Amino acid sequence: MEPMSEIHYRRLTRSRARGTFAVAFQSRASLWLGPDHLLCVDSSGYAETYKRFYLRDIQAVTIQETKRRTLWNVILVVPLVGCLAGLLTSLSSAPNDSPAVIVWLIVSVIFLVPFLFNNIFGTACVCQLRTAVQIEELPSLCRVRKTRRILDKVRPLIVAAQGGEIPAEAVSAWMRDWAASSAGVPPAGTVADNPNIPPGLAP
Amino acid sequence: MDGVFNQPEFGPCPACGVLLQVEVFPALFRKISTGRSGEAIMVEGESSCFYHPQKKAVLPCDGCGRFLCALCDCLFDGRHFCPACLETGKSKGKIQNLENQRTLYDGIALALAIFPMIIFYFTIITAPMALFVAIRYWKAPQSILRRTKIRFIAAIVVSLLQIAGWITLFIFLATRHGTHV
Repeated sequence: MEPMSEIHYRRLTRSRARGTFAVAFQSRASLWLGPDHLLCVDSSGYAETYKRFYLRDIQAVTIQETKRRTLWNVILVVPLVGCLAGLLTSLSSAPNDSPAVIVWLIVSVIFLVPFLFNNIFGTACVCQLRTAVQIEELPSLCRVRKTRRILDKVRPLIVAAQGGEIPAEAVSAWMRDWAASSAGVPPAGTVADNPNIPPGLAP
Repeated sequence: MDGVFNQPEFGPCPACGVLLQVEVFPALFRKISTGRSGEAIMVEGESSCFYHPQKKAVLPCDGCGRFLCALCDCLFDGRHFCPACLETGKSKGKIQNLENQRTLYDGIALALAIFPMIIFYFTIITAPMALFVAIRYWKAPQSILRRTKIRFIAAIVVSLLQIAGWITLFIFLATRHGTHV
């Protein structure tokens, strides 16, 4: 079997840790665009794992706004205000070149820089991609602005791969019909369907 | 349900009120096609599947040329493979789109060269290891994303410097010991 030619990928996002507090220990995920698929790369630095989402198979992309930016603002503002208060106190009580001023200044910058970046990047979000067989979170798409920018790039390619776009009204109508038709009927695979399934297996 | 699907802005989820933006594509409404089972041979002398001699062959495998029935025909990237060729292509990395993991030997070599410098005594062991990994896996497949050999080069340079440092230290200690005697 002859090896297939090398695929060239275009970077969509830079790598980002899967867990917020586990930057050093967890793998980092990034998103790349291939000729007919999206590639999600999880890299630990020593190994990479790949997940491919073919454009023709992508059913939906969900962006959900989260409170992560607000949470980080609260976490960073409290020590930042304390440091700035310390800095002001040192400035008023000691000469400008005292070591205390320098220390307070450095510590303030340590909190100020992430605080600024947290707000520059904008509202936080969780982005999920749905295919017929999976719902996968894309950790590298964690800010609304960036996610929309990437989606604007990818949407035309998905639409082209799937042969057309669906108008919003048609989707809403279909969803209403689906909700009406499935009302009162338990979803397939639940305990109600099959008494032999242990309750733990019910979705 | 209105105001959530294929809208440019967020809308509240009808169930829980969380702000959502959902882009739906035609694939959501596409029915999942069922697999084919392969036709049984009706006429004697008809070409049969390599894996299922009782079933009619429909095409040859693009990898090995064996005849395949509809059940064994795995369409991948526009090419028809038998399950064995798909498995070989995945395990040997010949079909890049099937690969789901790669080891980054350049990262390992660089880590072996750099991190032990924190406790530099370890470098007497790790420097030759880093050098070995860098040379042994120089031609091994790297990441499927574009990646230069800079990490390998850095690992080789750093580990050679460490080895040179240790040799210098030993020569220095040996000559000093020799002059004392």
